[in-house]
Amino acid sequence: MKTKKTWALGFLISGSVIFLVSCSAIQEAAGVLSSAANVSGEAATVLQVGQKLRSTFADITEEEEYYIGRSVAALILSKYPVYNNDGLTQYINLIGNAVAVYSDRPEIYAGYHFQILDTEEVNALAAPGGMIFLTKGLLRRCQDEEMLGLILAHEIGHVSAKHGLQSIKKSRLVDAFTFLGTEALERFGPQGLTKLTTVFEGVLSDIVEQLVERGYDRKYEYEADGLAVKFAAKTGFEPDGILRFLKTMVGDSSIAAGKGWFKTHPSPEERIDNLNKEIAGLDMAPKLDAARTERFRQSISTLK
Amino acid sequence: MKKPRSFVILFTILMMGLAFAAADILIVKIQATQLRKSPQFFAQTLGALKAGDKLEKMSESNGWIQVKNAAGVVGWVHTSAVEPPKFDLLAINRDMKTQATAGEVSLAGKGFNKQMGFDKQVEDSYRAKHGEANFAGVDRLLLIKITLAQVEDFLKKGRLGEFRGVQ
Repeated sequence: MKTKKTWALGFLISGSVIFLVSCSAIQEAAGVLSSAANVSGEAATVLQVGQKLRSTFADITEEEEYYIGRSVAALILSKYPVYNNDGLTQYINLIGNAVAVYSDRPEIYAGYHFQILDTEEVNALAAPGGMIFLTKGLLRRCQDEEMLGLILAHEIGHVSAKHGLQSIKKSRLVDAFTFLGTEALERFGPQGLTKLTTVFEGVLSDIVEQLVERGYDRKYEYEADGLAVKFAAKTGFEPDGILRFLKTMVGDSSIAAGKGWFKTHPSPEERIDNLNKEIAGLDMAPKLDAARTERFRQSISTLK
Repeated sequence: MKKPRSFVILFTILMMGLAFAAADILIVKIQATQLRKSPQFFAQTLGALKAGDKLEKMSESNGWIQVKNAAGVVGWVHTSAVEPPKFDLLAINRDMKTQATAGEVSLAGKGFNKQMGFDKQVEDSYRAKHGEANFAGVDRLLLIKITLAQVEDFLKKGRLGEFRGVQ
């Protein structure tokens, strides 16, 4: 009797493992089932269980993230004009793409793209999907390529850890997935599209509010700082670059008033403490390089 | 009578799962990437891959996966570029319908025949409502193209990445 139970349990466990390991199995199997004239109630139950699997930010597809990111970027670009300087923009895109190669998420739907915003506010913003913005005010505070490399690595850290998508309210995500699961366009036609657009507006407002107005949760900022140190060190940038950058802002009353970066990030002093611990944990920290500082000076000299 | 039938269905699903898992299929999830000769970004490329391409997984090493493409070419892709095949239960649901309704046929004719996601169609609908959102600016941003050869040159000149210490 016991042996039978053990067998049954073993069969159940191995069955469950196969079921979980290969989600696509259900698709294949159900395809076969669907070819039968009648679909049984049992099969329908299996399908309903499957539909519940899409429930968290991590279930947002790469392509959906790209389209969410495009709209978030479009809203950022409606608030700030672009600073047109092809040479400097190219330089920033080279640093950003170099860091991305050594990040946890080097490949992203449409690649990483970086742009300079024409404002003296000190700020950096990362939309989902790898569209990243730096302000002129932030660039003026950078004194070498390492500082820029670390700041871009921090933003890539936000994208890599999907912090933007994590700021979508859970209830909104449930609504979105439930609605997406209904094949609304097929069932409701243009009205379905209108409804989905309303869900989309809610998703965007969740992200933009976090990104531009309230700032991410502090734990996400510290996580992005940790990732910045990790990615930049792998790229070969001196991690102290981010400490030097933050120190330029300690006690600066002109920016501590609360716009941009200061409104949305923990204080520089708190971040420096946290970063010191992250840097101390590195096996080997790369050092500043004269060749990099020289090309930084040439590029930044065009900043007007 | 009911129990044996559900057992047969579940058993079929599990067995097909076993067969499919053995094949170990991966799908390209980003717009475009390359099949590479060795597991590194600056390796020789063997061919272009695009979203939806099916690859057969062979082995894995340090964030890279060795795969075989449809043409039988073996090479490497980064783990961030691929994913296991997803459930497309909605598509299954569609297959299960023996007959489409007249309304569905009509909507399909208008292009409303795909599974919904946040995609171009939703963006267009959002854009129509939000003239203030600067999508032209986003399209200009996405036109900035940096090639891997440019990144490699930048890394070499800055003594960065795997080119540290190389001058």
